[in-house]
Amino acid sequence: MLKKLYRAALVTAAVACFAITSLTSFSVSAKGVFQSGPDFFTEVFAPQQAEPKVLWLTPEIRAQAAVILDRPVRGLRIRYHQRDNKTAWILEEIGKEMPITIGVVVEDDVIQQVKILAYRESRGGEVRYPAYTAQYSGAALQADYRLDQNIDGITGATLSVWAVNKVAALALYYHAVVIQSSATHQP
Amino acid sequence: MLWHRRLGLSTFVVLIFLAISGFALNHSPGLKLNQINLSSNWLLTWYGFEVPTAEGFEVGGKWFYQDGNQALVVDGNSVASCTAPLSAIAQTTDGVFALCADGLNLLTTDGQLVEQFGTVDGLPANTQTVTVLDNRIYLTIGSSSINSVTIDSVTMEFNSDSLGLTVADIAPQTLKDIQQTAMPLPKLLQKKLKEQSSGPSISLETVILDLHSGRFFGQFGVFFIDLIGLLVCILSITGLMAWMKRR
Repeated sequence: MLKKLYRAALVTAAVACFAITSLTSFSVSAKGVFQSGPDFFTEVFAPQQAEPKVLWLTPEIRAQAAVILDRPVRGLRIRYHQRDNKTAWILEEIGKEMPITIGVVVEDDVIQQVKILAYRESRGGEVRYPAYTAQYSGAALQADYRLDQNIDGITGATLSVWAVNKVAALALYYHAVVIQSSATHQP
Repeated sequence: MLWHRRLGLSTFVVLIFLAISGFALNHSPGLKLNQINLSSNWLLTWYGFEVPTAEGFEVGGKWFYQDGNQALVVDGNSVASCTAPLSAIAQTTDGVFALCADGLNLLTTDGQLVEQFGTVDGLPANTQTVTVLDNRIYLTIGSSSINSVTIDSVTMEFNSDSLGLTVADIAPQTLKDIQQTAMPLPKLLQKKLKEQSSGPSISLETVILDLHSGRFFGQFGVFFIDLIGLLVCILSITGLMAWMKRR
């Protein structure tokens, strides 16, 4: 009788060990592509469609973008979607070592939405949670090219938070550039 | 007596070397020997490291290659981020197209990055090569299986202005034949790449330790140092005997 009990306890312990290890191995990983660019654009402008456009980075734009990002900008053009006064951007910025792909929607010079489309680092992925990205809605650009809202950081994800802040400011700047140029081009 | 002299003469060079190297090893942390890294080619080969010859693609008189870290390099200048391998390069009259593991880099003919077209932007995940035929850009998408349905390898034409992909009716073999293959980089760029990237290296401490123990020359070296040790024992005994005799 005791032997049986002992055996049952052993089996239970083994099953519990197995369950715990398999659970931990399936635990949350920050890495991943959460949404593709085309899907993001479609979702942002649904049910209508927006016009895909290209912003060529002139030396002046590059100089200002370099100040915002605190590093030189690579690439000669940026793709975005626009419908009236609403633009959507997909930009990349390195958190610690790997680039974070961030979608930013700007309408009437304020941020409407920030969404992390792809996160490639093993830690700091908390920036993708809506509770965090919601802080950006309504933020506008100050004269010093920083956000006019305070963004609460995340412990352990400081670099990712900085990256998202920079990209949010950059998208606002790009938005201002394209809105301004389309205003001057129209008769 | 005679043997003592002979033994002494034949071992003194090695003994002095062992004394100096032993001194160096004893004070290795102070001398920071473990922080001095050696990476000369013959030493790495001697230690059995395979020194890979870096490869790249020569397009329009410029060399395009991956630097072993995360960058696409054009003639020594890092121009874009690129996860290895850099699998193909193709050129049209408008620009150069470099396919890395993380996306397709669109560059100007003088090697400046125009933009990146990654999997997030709609590049199929298993894109294998980029080829240019008649100034049109073709991407070869490898076969894949989704839910146990196998999808054959497809060739798609790539529009570099709209970043659009359309299925092209062209045999993969035709493109394969005209594809540019990677070539070893010229010596000058090899050297530059080595200076920039952190390849394999061996610390000076390891080298001295291996010389001291004889391991540097393999099994034979170890036996040789053993022999020297044995000779030192004999020397000390014969020396003691000679001293006793003289008294």
